[in-house]
Amino acid sequence: MMQTVQKESTQIETRLRTQSTFNRIFSTLGVYGVAVLFLLLGIILQISGVINNFLTAQNMLNIIDAVSLLGIVAMGMAFVTYSGHYADLSVPTTMALTGIVCVEMLKYGFFPAVIISFIVGLLVGGINAVAIGKFKANPIIWTLAVNYVSMGVIRLVWVNKQIYPDLKASSVKASVLFDNIYRFRFFDKIALPMVFLIILVIVCHFILQRTKFGVQLKLTGSARNVAKFSGVNVERVISIAFLLCAATATLGGLTVTSLSKVGAWYNGAGYDFKAVTAVVIGGMTLAGGRGSIIGVLGGVLIIGLMNNIMTLLGIGTFSQDMIRGAIFILVVGLNAKSLRSQGRDDA
Amino acid sequence: MIDRYRIFLLFIVVFLFMAIFAPRFFNVFNLTTIMRTMAMNAVVAIGFTIVLICGELDLSIGTIITFSGVVGLGLKEYLGYGGSVPIAILTGCGIGLINGLLVAKAKINSFIVTLGMMTILQGAIYTATGGNSISLSTEDAFAVSDWLSKMILPLITPRVLITIGFIVFFTLFMRRTRMGRNFYMVGGNTQTAWLAGVNTDGYKIVAFIISGFTAALGGVLFAMEGSAATLKLGDTSLMYIVSATIIGGTAMSGGKGGVFRTFIAILMLDVLYNGIILFGLGNEVKIFIAGLILATVVMYEAYAAYKHDKIVGQRAELLKELNTKHGK
Repeated sequence: MMQTVQKESTQIETRLRTQSTFNRIFSTLGVYGVAVLFLLLGIILQISGVINNFLTAQNMLNIIDAVSLLGIVAMGMAFVTYSGHYADLSVPTTMALTGIVCVEMLKYGFFPAVIISFIVGLLVGGINAVAIGKFKANPIIWTLAVNYVSMGVIRLVWVNKQIYPDLKASSVKASVLFDNIYRFRFFDKIALPMVFLIILVIVCHFILQRTKFGVQLKLTGSARNVAKFSGVNVERVISIAFLLCAATATLGGLTVTSLSKVGAWYNGAGYDFKAVTAVVIGGMTLAGGRGSIIGVLGGVLIIGLMNNIMTLLGIGTFSQDMIRGAIFILVVGLNAKSLRSQGRDDA
Repeated sequence: MIDRYRIFLLFIVVFLFMAIFAPRFFNVFNLTTIMRTMAMNAVVAIGFTIVLICGELDLSIGTIITFSGVVGLGLKEYLGYGGSVPIAILTGCGIGLINGLLVAKAKINSFIVTLGMMTILQGAIYTATGGNSISLSTEDAFAVSDWLSKMILPLITPRVLITIGFIVFFTLFMRRTRMGRNFYMVGGNTQTAWLAGVNTDGYKIVAFIISGFTAALGGVLFAMEGSAATLKLGDTSLMYIVSATIIGGTAMSGGKGGVFRTFIAILMLDVLYNGIILFGLGNEVKIFIAGLILATVVMYEAYAAYKHDKIVGQRAELLKELNTKHGK
């Protein structure tokens, strides 16, 4: 009996040591391995003459530019996923609501309008935080309900109308500033959203890796009850995660509204699932407590690279959807498989 | 007691309110309209409820509805309804099978699998149709459409009858058969079910196949009745069915709920929407009130669990003793 147990345990150890090379590479490089693969694919395609203009500085900049808005939203969503609460599905209408509020308030000046929209965004986040953090409501269903309610509010208050920032003569200056949220460029090259994204990555990475809150969030995400019994104020930690998500959604909402120059209830539609896709491709598991902000950035960049290569190849938008969905399932499946082969499966 | 019959009470309250106050609500014509709007989502919700009872989630139902509508009508030209409808429904089952295999065998979270499947199908629908809706205007297509929407009994058209047939079948199946009960077991506690000798993977796969089947059936019947498949056919269905299933009392964590309760919840939401339109209020009020009801139900359940959590492990007699000792 004892012998068999020992034999089995050595077997397990050998199994751990002799992981397949693929799994080892996958688990060390993580999502950036996939990113490098896509980069190589692009380079090969360019050398063989199938596509042009892939490996230029301008194109690389375009790739990041195209996904910076998604990246901003994904940074906040990452905290929610990390805390083990799947996703905040109220992001789309938080974006629409804060955008439309900001456009409405531009008559009081640019900065007051931005501050008011952040307050509104954090209010929505606060509602989520109380319901999910304190009362443990199911995150998916609750945020879905909040999404409905706030969409109803937008459409009731603004009677299904779209509003434009530059119509009112009293707020021309503020409107110009507002339009420039998306359009301002440093050195004519680096767009403001890209700068937002870089700052957010640094700040979020610091929060997650170097602060007490980050460690507490990791424990809460891995095992809520363990965290609770070790004296972590789990209610507060989860609430902060949802507030952070609402804050980045607000920033994303202002950017997307500035991009389209119109405040409307449908702004930001689809950003919930897009952000989750980026976060999960980036190596965060839905079970929580695993992954990193740098990984999420990698996920965002992969989506950008993928879209860029497919567009350069001339693949239609709708076929792109099919490929994107398949790659999404594949990457996440491989990630789960590599975790499981190391005996670290909990997702 | 109230918890158990919550959805039935809610339905009666909403129905009575509308019957008394809403203008032109309580007549055969309007009630038939409600039954007909209910028919598609009610049949799709059967599969969604079973997947939820299994403790998984299927986000792809909305796109399966559209996809099967497009396939069923698009292939009619070549095969006739006799060939295209079975193909559409089998495609739905096939998509469900792929979902199920990826969830049960490849062990990928169902949220991710079905979210990816939703994106894939969305692309497939637009690629297959080139972005145009399909509408048929041949004699025989209209004949089928007329037959499906003909009133055979008060309130009942053939499509409603099919829907009710499936709901009765699946209600009895989930309640009375061992296989049906096993779905609850798998959702309630997968490991216990496995230890008890239940093939948990198999049940999860079957749940996804049923979900694909009902979604395809609902979509293709709806498209046949209208002789048209728009590319936004199932867009609103997902949120609608998720709300109804939760309001009906099926738990996201699995192992709890039922097909019939979901049906009543769908009916309740349709009566409510119909009434709101009769009052002359718009779509935005509909969305607002649906969200409010869903939020209230979720909050109510969460609060009940929160209160239960607080007193769990406390012993009443010990507390009493402590209090008397300190002279309180």
